[in-house]
Amino acid sequence: MVLAAWEWLPRWAIVNAELLPPLSDVLAMFFTILGRSQVQEAIGVTTGEVVLAFMFAVPIGAGVGVLVAESEYFGQIFRPMLFYVFSIPKSIFLPMFILVFGIGFEQKVAYAAFSTVFIVIMSAAAAVESVKADHVLVARSYGATRTQVLTRVYVPSMLPFLLEALRISMIFNFTGVMIAEMYASRSGIGQLIASWGENFQMPQLFAGVVLLAAAAIGFNETVRWLEARCSAWRT
Amino acid sequence: MQRVANLSELRAKEAQAAAIEVAELSHVYLGREGKVPALEDISLDVGAGRFVVIVGPSGCGKTSLLMMMAGLRRPSSGTILCAGRSIDVPDPDRVGVVFQEASLFPWLTALENIEFPLSIRRAPRLERRRRADAMLDLVGLPGFGARYPHELSGGMKQRVSIARGLVQDPPVLLMDEPFAALDEQTRMTMGHELLRIWSQTNKTVVFVTHSLTEAVYLADEVLVMSPRPGRIIDRVEVTLPRPRTYEMMATDVFGRLRERIWQKIRKVN
Repeated sequence: MVLAAWEWLPRWAIVNAELLPPLSDVLAMFFTILGRSQVQEAIGVTTGEVVLAFMFAVPIGAGVGVLVAESEYFGQIFRPMLFYVFSIPKSIFLPMFILVFGIGFEQKVAYAAFSTVFIVIMSAAAAVESVKADHVLVARSYGATRTQVLTRVYVPSMLPFLLEALRISMIFNFTGVMIAEMYASRSGIGQLIASWGENFQMPQLFAGVVLLAAAAIGFNETVRWLEARCSAWRT
Repeated sequence: MQRVANLSELRAKEAQAAAIEVAELSHVYLGREGKVPALEDISLDVGAGRFVVIVGPSGCGKTSLLMMMAGLRRPSSGTILCAGRSIDVPDPDRVGVVFQEASLFPWLTALENIEFPLSIRRAPRLERRRRADAMLDLVGLPGFGARYPHELSGGMKQRVSIARGLVQDPPVLLMDEPFAALDEQTRMTMGHELLRIWSQTNKTVVFVTHSLTEAVYLADEVLVMSPRPGRIIDRVEVTLPRPRTYEMMATDVFGRLRERIWQKIRKVN
């Protein structure tokens, strides 16, 4: 329905085709721009930024989250602080990141990792707290070592929560990279989309949107599928 | 075969001694308002092969006492001997534990749950499977191995828990209110089933509950505990013959035993 409306409303001139090009035009443009080396380069840059930022944010966030949940000492020190920072919109820190890192690749990675790390911390802490004390006791009563308690009780209890956290973190991470690219950049998909918008190149703009949507939905659904497979035991 | 023969010899030796000896045990924990005495001067012997039930009001420390027998907690003072040796850390060779409901790992199937204690000790896969299958049969759940805990009823879950507690063939089985969350009928059936399993396996059982009917029905001996600080205020020898039947619950002997325990608990409250 939506797709059909997208195709025919502009064609019947009910909607201004300049503002909303018909779906078929957008798709045609999508494949055209995919062939352009400029776009391919931008995809490469953006992918690099997203992946690298994620690789920083997830292990650091998970580590801090586990520490906050497991150690009373760290929990009491950092928990209030984390909650405060978590509530602040991260985009207002963007100018500072530009001052420190410039407007290149490093700045995108740093900013995206920064805007993602807090949600990872929160989710990891929640995942640790989801582990039942009873289950730990059972494992200990059968002589499980600390490592075994970790791998046989903590990891399986936490896995579905962690996958969900991964999925949501990626949304934050992707958004972080896009905002940074659109705000100030010389490369990347976000920068291309911003400039297409400024130059009123609507088919290109929508083709870019389709590209990003496909990537985001693709990742999200893959993790969701994994989540479903790993949490068959959850009722 | 050699191992089995040795084992049964060992069992015979153990049978002469007490399976569990608790001597002058006291426990104090640190609460908000300083030291709180939880258990006070507890001494008890559980003979090998006996079925001993501990009853008492909630918060009297009966679960703590059981956890100490399992080596999961250390008492402030006193000693606990299990099969003649002190138990400071959990030792699944000597003691199996059956916990309250919902202690099964929900991400493992029934069979994998039963295998868990064996896999912790890295027993070979085939051996694990064989033992776990035998346990499933023993607790009356053949063919249910592939089910996840959420696909089992409350009673079935506790059967799996019992199987998990027995899978390493420890001489002692400690049970912490295993049927507390079950409805009355299932609870009676499970009690009966437990007696059948107990008589088939010759285990020593220490069973904690707050149900007096359950206590009298199951026990050779009932130990009655006072509210905090928990002390043993009565030891009731249950003289009913075995095997126990549901009909015995309607007898005078049963009623008198139950009444005696109730009076003790009521008085100190």
